[in-house]
Amino acid sequence: MEMETDALPNGSSASSTTGSTTSAPATPTAAITAGAVSASALPSSKLTQLAESLKLEHQFLRVPFEHYKKTIRANHRIVEKEVSAVISGVAEAADSAELSRDDAVQQLNSLVSRLQGLKRKLEEGSRTEHLQAQRCRARLDHLESADAENLSEWNNIRLKRILVDYMLRMSYYDTAIKLAGSSSIQDFVDIDVFFEAKKVIEALQSKEVAPALAWCADNKSRLKKSKSKFEFQLRLQEFIELVRAENNMRAITYARKYLAPWGATHMKELQRVMATLAFKSNTECPTYKVLFEAKQWDYLVDQFKQEFCRLYGMTLEPLLNIYLQAGLSALKTPFCYEDDCTKEDPLSQESFRKLALPLPYSKQHHSKLVCYITKELMDTENPPLVLPNGYVYSTKALEEMAKKNDGRITCPRTGLVCNYTEVIKAYIS
Amino acid sequence: MSTSSLEMPLSSLRDAFDRVGKKQKLSISKSQEVIDQVRHEVEQALVDIQSDHVATWALVDIQSDDVATSPIDQRSILDELRNKLNMIAPLNQLEGSQKELNLSLNKYQKVLDKTLNPDISKAYRNVDFDPHTLHQIILNHFYREGLFDVADSLIQEAGEPEAISLRLKFVELHEILEAMKLRNLEPALQWVSENFEQLKECGLFLKLKLHKLQFVEILQKRCQADALDYAKTYLAPLASVHMDEIQKLMGCLLWVGKLDSSPYSELVDPSNWEKMTEEITEQFCSFLGQSSPSPLSVALAAGIEGLPTLLKLATVMAAKKQEWLAMKQLPVPVELGKEFQYHSIFVCPVSREQGSEENPPMLLPCGHVLCKHSIHKLSKNSTRSFKCPYCPQDASVTQCRQLFF
Repeated sequence: MEMETDALPNGSSASSTTGSTTSAPATPTAAITAGAVSASALPSSKLTQLAESLKLEHQFLRVPFEHYKKTIRANHRIVEKEVSAVISGVAEAADSAELSRDDAVQQLNSLVSRLQGLKRKLEEGSRTEHLQAQRCRARLDHLESADAENLSEWNNIRLKRILVDYMLRMSYYDTAIKLAGSSSIQDFVDIDVFFEAKKVIEALQSKEVAPALAWCADNKSRLKKSKSKFEFQLRLQEFIELVRAENNMRAITYARKYLAPWGATHMKELQRVMATLAFKSNTECPTYKVLFEAKQWDYLVDQFKQEFCRLYGMTLEPLLNIYLQAGLSALKTPFCYEDDCTKEDPLSQESFRKLALPLPYSKQHHSKLVCYITKELMDTENPPLVLPNGYVYSTKALEEMAKKNDGRITCPRTGLVCNYTEVIKAYIS
Repeated sequence: MSTSSLEMPLSSLRDAFDRVGKKQKLSISKSQEVIDQVRHEVEQALVDIQSDHVATWALVDIQSDDVATSPIDQRSILDELRNKLNMIAPLNQLEGSQKELNLSLNKYQKVLDKTLNPDISKAYRNVDFDPHTLHQIILNHFYREGLFDVADSLIQEAGEPEAISLRLKFVELHEILEAMKLRNLEPALQWVSENFEQLKECGLFLKLKLHKLQFVEILQKRCQADALDYAKTYLAPLASVHMDEIQKLMGCLLWVGKLDSSPYSELVDPSNWEKMTEEITEQFCSFLGQSSPSPLSVALAAGIEGLPTLLKLATVMAAKKQEWLAMKQLPVPVELGKEFQYHSIFVCPVSREQGSEENPPMLLPCGHVLCKHSIHKLSKNSTRSFKCPYCPQDASVTQCRQLFF
């Protein structure tokens, strides 16, 4: 079933996938829907692979969906709150004994304008929700659009998406924006979601917890569901800062208000931090010294990033790392680290070799042999032939060589010359 | 039908999302309806209060300035308003439609989790993935793709050292490619001459192909005379080595203006330019000691192909996390496309061991191949002759020859 001879890994344009005589599309309907160009359909193995790889795109659909849900929730809360306020406004007016008529009219008028305002907000909110729903749909469309004809372009976009994801995770926002803009894939990446995180991260890096706390409030119920203690950690840090500034009285008041509620579930940690009251910020005692270090803020940033990713259904590690690790391991053989490793192999590059060092080697259950001359597989259709000196080349390569040289073969690696009739066929399963 | 195994599930995903869209619209219109209802009642009450005032105007107390409704009437209007609102139960209505919306949202989430893999990080190993090395790799990729300003931005934001010489090289490549887009082969030819020594055989072939392409272009776009001039200057010197080719090209001169219906129609196929662009790019990258789709592209493509298998493996080994992290070799093969096979891997059919320097593949006289260790075992440490496990022809250790793939 072999057909492509030297397709580039990313599959260049359709021109490289010609002549698939042995692999027909799966069903008659498949043949029809395969569309116009079809002599150059991809083999079914490539299509199965494509389908498998699409299953990896959970994050692609989940993130805009989470964002959408969040907007819906927030909008609904506003409507509820306002309508509630109007109802209680009416109740208040109805119950108030000494309400003058003018006051009653004023009160009712204010309620009416509140409702008018709400209606406007609702329209605006509805537009935002609609846009976000459209983004979700656009991504579904994109997944469905992947097919044989646009495969290499689709893969290029995927590669870019993976890189944009990396830039956003590392907070390289300008690079992310430029990269997304270069192929107009802004709808396929979540820059806006990460911008939300940017505010919190930058504040934490400037030792401010306010935006982070606001974020916790915004996502209160979901954080509670996942039993997150992030808010607690933020409060602890604020407490430490008060102790650092030697504001012990304020620190204690703060602790009573904000830390005590967490005591039930996190008593040990609470006690440990409370003990810092007894020390100064330049203490040498190791247990408590560490709590005063600036590194704690970096830790908070990391914690936030984790909570954030979890909330949006994103992997904790960048997609780039995940895919790259998989690729390196799948490609890694001891031969990659030899000097004569072909430059086509990414592991011929120093940087890749370095990254692949701690990763496991790939495994084969069956021999896979590559002809030194043609770089093609030597299999039953193109069996390996052995020269008198033990060097092996493919039938295709040696036949061609013999044809051009009066039946003589010259081993490209040792220089040995022999006759084509002298080579032996090797049987390798 | 491209994503045949995924089309069904994707369409059920789409259906679930369509339902969400419907419920969301309903929810919005319900909210609007509720707001309108409440507003209507409040406005009605307002009217009542104010009209009540008109009706009782006649009863006004001349002595006081206070032109009030009788407090009891106002009270009862407000009470009635409150009761009406209770009956409408706006909050309940809102809750109702929101509940339905939430149900459809949850349903979509479930379908999503079922159709696509919710956690692709299961196979990830927390090893040191040095960011600087990674950034070098990414920069190389950006240069290769001609995304120079993106690269510059990364250098700045990540604080990476500049890679000036690499950048220059790829700037050169993209200048060549840009020119080729405009059917100008000057820069390409110049590059070939500059690096002629190192290109060796390849250089000559490239020169020929480039000149051929340019010749045909001139013939089509300009005139016979120009083409002839070009041929005299550039093709003649190559004639000694590539006589056949040159003769063919000269034949083209007879079909000026009708080349696409001539026996030489393939020469004017526009895909020749695409192919040439690809070839130049490959040569150029090879010169820089790397593959033509950037090494990052290749590695990621391999990763995308291989990750599903690794995820399955990680799931199976979920309970043995230590083993997973400590393994030196994957326990199962990760099948990749042929294009990722860069090395010959010999696997002994008997021992399933991979060939190596200490354990090379050996050819038996019958033509079957086993690894050295297996042969030693079968021959009881080279003492006896043995039968090949496959054919069963007799063989002795001395008859076996080492193979070099």
